[in-house]
Amino acid sequence: MNEQMSILFKNTLSEIERLGQVVEEFAALHHLPPPLAFEINVALEEILTNVISYGYDDSNEHDIIVRLSCNEGEVTAEVEDDGRPFNPLGAAEPDTNKLLEERPVGGLGIHLVRKLMDRVEYRRPQGKNLLMMKKRIPTV
Amino acid sequence: MDITKDKRGDVTLLAIKGRLDASTANKLEEKLLTSIDGGERRLALDCSQLDYISSAGLRVLLLAVKRVTGVNGKIVLYALKDQIKEVFDIVGFSSLFPSFATQEEALRSCDQ
Repeated sequence: MNEQMSILFKNTLSEIERLGQVVEEFAALHHLPPPLAFEINVALEEILTNVISYGYDDSNEHDIIVRLSCNEGEVTAEVEDDGRPFNPLGAAEPDTNKLLEERPVGGLGIHLVRKLMDRVEYRRPQGKNLLMMKKRIPTV
Repeated sequence: MDITKDKRGDVTLLAIKGRLDASTANKLEEKLLTSIDGGERRLALDCSQLDYISSAGLRVLLLAVKRVTGVNGKIVLYALKDQIKEVFDIVGFSSLFPSFATQEEALRSCDQ
């Protein structure tokens, strides 16, 4: 099944719960192993949260599009928004060996995205932010 | 996401049930920081029913461990599911939070 799921989210954090349900639905549809569904959920939540929290200069309601698809053993997850130019990958890598007192609270999320996904790419097509992530479905 | 609180001697037990994500993390933050600011120094988090954690949840845990360490306290975790452990390992939290398989082991470590 190659069809793409395309879901609209509003730019409010309460939508994160619905994201979890959507990922679960997508995983069930494509018989994805639970660990993979978990990883996609975490990565998507991070991007969506960043867009909601930092993506807009106004206080208006915006639509954020999340697209999920499976193709040739690979899952593709995309987040598209019409906010200000913002690449969430611009964040610096956290030093995971630092002592507790030296650890900044931020930066963890993008680190997770990079480690959990096989490929992460940011583009800015026609005035939109597009964050694309890919992950191979484990064959075991 | 539900949090239930209990006590074993001078150890505060907090069971985190369900999903710890950007929409539920504030609830845990309030509970943890209120406990610590209220004088609780030994906290053991029961993660046996913690199904999901994202960076929002991790951030709350990091805030809490910094706060409790500042008053010579301690937070330990127990009964983490594999997926949660994976996330912890990726962000290097396993070195910040002592983690145990059972409540018994967790409580014993709080005595030390």
